[in-house]
Amino acid sequence: MVEYGQVGEFTGWSNYVKLIHNDRFWNSLWVSTQFMLTAVPIEFALGLAGALILNQKIWARGLWLPLLFIPSMMAPIVVGLLWKIMLAGSWGLLSYNIIERFHLLTGTSIFASNEYSLLALAIVDVWQWTPFMMLTFFAGRQSLPMGLYKAAEVDGASNMQIFWRLTLPLMTPLMAVIGMLRFIDAFKVFDSIFMLTSGGPGVSTESPSMLAYKMSFEQWRIGESAAMAVVVWFVFFLICNIFYQVGKKRLNAF
Amino acid sequence: MNSFAFDFKRLLWSILIFVIAGIVLFPVFWLLIMAFKPDDVMFARPTVWVFSPTISHIRYVLDNGFISYLGTSIALGLVSTFLVVIIGTPAAYAFARFEIKAKDDLFLFILGTRMAPPICLVIPLYLIFSKIDLLDTFAGLTLAYLTFNLSFFIWVLKSFCRDLPIQLEEAALVEGYSRIDVLLQVVLPLLKSGIVATSMLCFIFAWNEFLFSFMLGGKAIKTLPVAIPLLITSQGVRWGELAFVGIAALVPVMLVVFVLQKQIVRGLTMGAIKG
Repeated sequence: MVEYGQVGEFTGWSNYVKLIHNDRFWNSLWVSTQFMLTAVPIEFALGLAGALILNQKIWARGLWLPLLFIPSMMAPIVVGLLWKIMLAGSWGLLSYNIIERFHLLTGTSIFASNEYSLLALAIVDVWQWTPFMMLTFFAGRQSLPMGLYKAAEVDGASNMQIFWRLTLPLMTPLMAVIGMLRFIDAFKVFDSIFMLTSGGPGVSTESPSMLAYKMSFEQWRIGESAAMAVVVWFVFFLICNIFYQVGKKRLNAF
Repeated sequence: MNSFAFDFKRLLWSILIFVIAGIVLFPVFWLLIMAFKPDDVMFARPTVWVFSPTISHIRYVLDNGFISYLGTSIALGLVSTFLVVIIGTPAAYAFARFEIKAKDDLFLFILGTRMAPPICLVIPLYLIFSKIDLLDTFAGLTLAYLTFNLSFFIWVLKSFCRDLPIQLEEAALVEGYSRIDVLLQVVLPLLKSGIVATSMLCFIFAWNEFLFSFMLGGKAIKTLPVAIPLLITSQGVRWGELAFVGIAALVPVMLVVFVLQKQIVRGLTMGAIKG
């Protein structure tokens, strides 16, 4: 192993071999997979519903739109802080008034519980990104040609038919691109985990970013963490490639 | 449909949006409350809603280097954004207008730096910076911020460039303008609003950034987000102070959100949605 600051011998693939045999690496991938598959579909569904509500005739839409941007534009570290306060120990607003009052969880903070800490992080993510989904889907919905909707109305299509036969198919490419963007972002989540659980308890919320951070800057296993960064980056690059191709071909974007 | 029924429907949808926005914004409002809540009622069970506000948290934060964190954050944001605009504008224009070898691959590679988890960049940058004495320096951190902001800027500004009518530039070229003159005199004025919007987003991303300044700024260069974990000490967590720093970090975000509105969609989707 190479100590920090000194140049070691070339070690070939050994850091990658170590990585493959590291249970924590596989655990971190599993943690992130669970996190993504919990948070993103909820954000997607709620975001779509919210976008359709925003698309109705409502008062003061111009006021709500910018306000709804606030969570997704906030520093992720502040998002972590916000929920640390909301769910703090036994006195946080939600931990006392909801979790304790309805006996959802006793004895520990939600971020210290093995079963629920990851779910809590996913809920934080849902809070932060659902409004963003609402707003992007709304923007996408607004850009659809009015003429088609007029024609559907003239033909006597019901609201349900209009949604399933018109809105949904027309918005599919856009939703694919946004969904992918969210998957990418959800996979790399670091700041809020750092703030709320630091990957704990144990390794139950240790995402790849969190693990790479601990490996490199707490245990100084630079070689192994660099190997991990390369692997993660490669996976990302592949997902980005799909994002780019879909956006370019189907959305005529970029 | 009579007008009363119409209004009733509108009222229902409006109330629904009001409730949604309330749920979304309530934690932010609670953060604001916590910044002024005295310590003796902060941990009270049941939750105390009415109290006489205190400024002791604000005073503590101000006495403990808040102004210098704030200054660092603003300076770092402005300098890195300025560099991004200077380097990124011609790059975005070139991507939009020129035939470049392997342009798609290059463009995708740029996206890769933006999309990769920050930790993937921080580990190599830490090692490189430690060798060339850029660790814990303002210049080093500025360079590090370029990794994500420059790629973001080029991506989004390219989508603005693509929207410009190419005929204007062609006409100017026929008139004998050089490419540089076309960029400076024809394209820039048209791109101005795009540049302003995108650079404001860059400023916010720099402002919000945590891991880079936490790892590469060390003890010397501390930004506002880095001040947050510092208030979680071994003697205990300074909740009120944390809340105040959080609120302070939100101020420019609020401003930008209201100024930009629609361009944010375009920015946050990397130009995939025109907004």
